[in-house]
Amino acid sequence: MNEKLVTIINEVRANKQQPPLNDLCASSRLREDVGLESLDLAELTVRIEEKFGVDVFADGLVHTIGEIEAKIARVKA
Amino acid sequence: MSKNILVTGVSQGLGLAIAESILAAGWNVYGVSRRHSPEYAALQEKFPGRVHFHAFDLAGVDAVKEDLFGKFLPFSTPLHGYVNNAAMAYDDIVTNLDAGRLRAMYDVNVFTPMMATKYAIRHMLFNRVAGSIVHISSISVHTGYKGLAMYASTKGALEAFSKNTAREWGERGVRSNCLVAGFMETAMSGKLTEEQRQRIYNRTALKQATKLGSVADTVVFLLGDGAASVTGQNIFVDSGTI
Ligand SMILES: NC(=O)c1ccc[n+]([C@@H]2O[C@H](COP(=O)([O-])OP(=O)(O)OC[C@H]3O[C@@H](n4cnc5c(N)ncnc54)[C@H](OP(=O)(O)O)[C@@H]3O)[C@@H](O)[C@H]2O)c1
Repeated sequence: MNEKLVTIINEVRANKQQPPLNDLCASSRLREDVGLESLDLAELTVRIEEKFGVDVFADGLVHTIGEIEAKIARVKA
Repeated sequence: MSKNILVTGVSQGLGLAIAESILAAGWNVYGVSRRHSPEYAALQEKFPGRVHFHAFDLAGVDAVKEDLFGKFLPFSTPLHGYVNNAAMAYDDIVTNLDAGRLRAMYDVNVFTPMMATKYAIRHMLFNRVAGSIVHISSISVHTGYKGLAMYASTKGALEAFSKNTAREWGERGVRSNCLVAGFMETAMSGKLTEEQRQRIYNRTALKQATKLGSVADTVVFLLGDGAASVTGQNIFVDSGTI
């Protein structure tokens, strides 16, 4: 798991008074498993963009953490 | 607490008056327009370090992210308010409607301001700021004037956009309101004859032009903490149109 990504996800959760998750994996679903709603996903997008320079939701929906990691990797490559 | 406010159309008219009122409130102005006017430069001189300028053409819908925000308002500058003031008026009767001119007006009055709202809210989310958005609308949306159908339609679009933005982002503390301005004596209304002016003023309770300072001070109120529970509203500052 990308450590920075985990930190960002837990930052968004903390803003909603939710405890950090330590067992995130590539198949974790953002809504069902991580508990993020559309406005949380907007905040997540902004924080990821600031760190990694990619707007992960710009070209279609993203459902899992693995899909975010793939998009970040594509930009780095 | 000091606030950083993005204002469009600061070179003259209402935008310049809004910049002045924001400075009087003790906040900072991040102003854009195509021209860097001597009047705005004078404000920069009078309030050193608090008045910023970036030349930006609102016709550039696709430049909002990289240019307006990327170059002028990076995340390191928290944004507390966005005043969508700049606009153009394409006046004509409907039977003369030209699609190209209509599109150009929608780019400046609607599409670029909508994109700027997108990035303003993203900015507020990043810095966890309960920001305030104010769109300058026009009384022509609510009364109707000959020749203003196309222009008024752009402002009507903003009113709908503002109401829905307020609903969507309220739970994050972001507010959005429209200030519905009556006829003001600026370059935009400069082509009206004295007779046309009087006819417009006679349709108001106060029988006079709407004062720039009154509109500007109301914008500052909507930006400030005194308006913390005001969102999704159209606030009329129009000499009391009847
Ligand atoms: N005047 C009225 O009677 C009246 C009534 C109701 C509502 N309003 C609204 O009040 C607001 C202010 O109008 P005003 O009367 O102050 O008009 P104005 O004197 O014509 O000023 C318009 C401002 O917008 C800027 N602007 C125009 N096109 C632009 C573009 N493509 N890119 C960047 N900036 C642009 C201009 O700067 P540059 O030319 O330097 O770019 C100028 O600073 C507008 O939203 C208008 O619709 C006016």
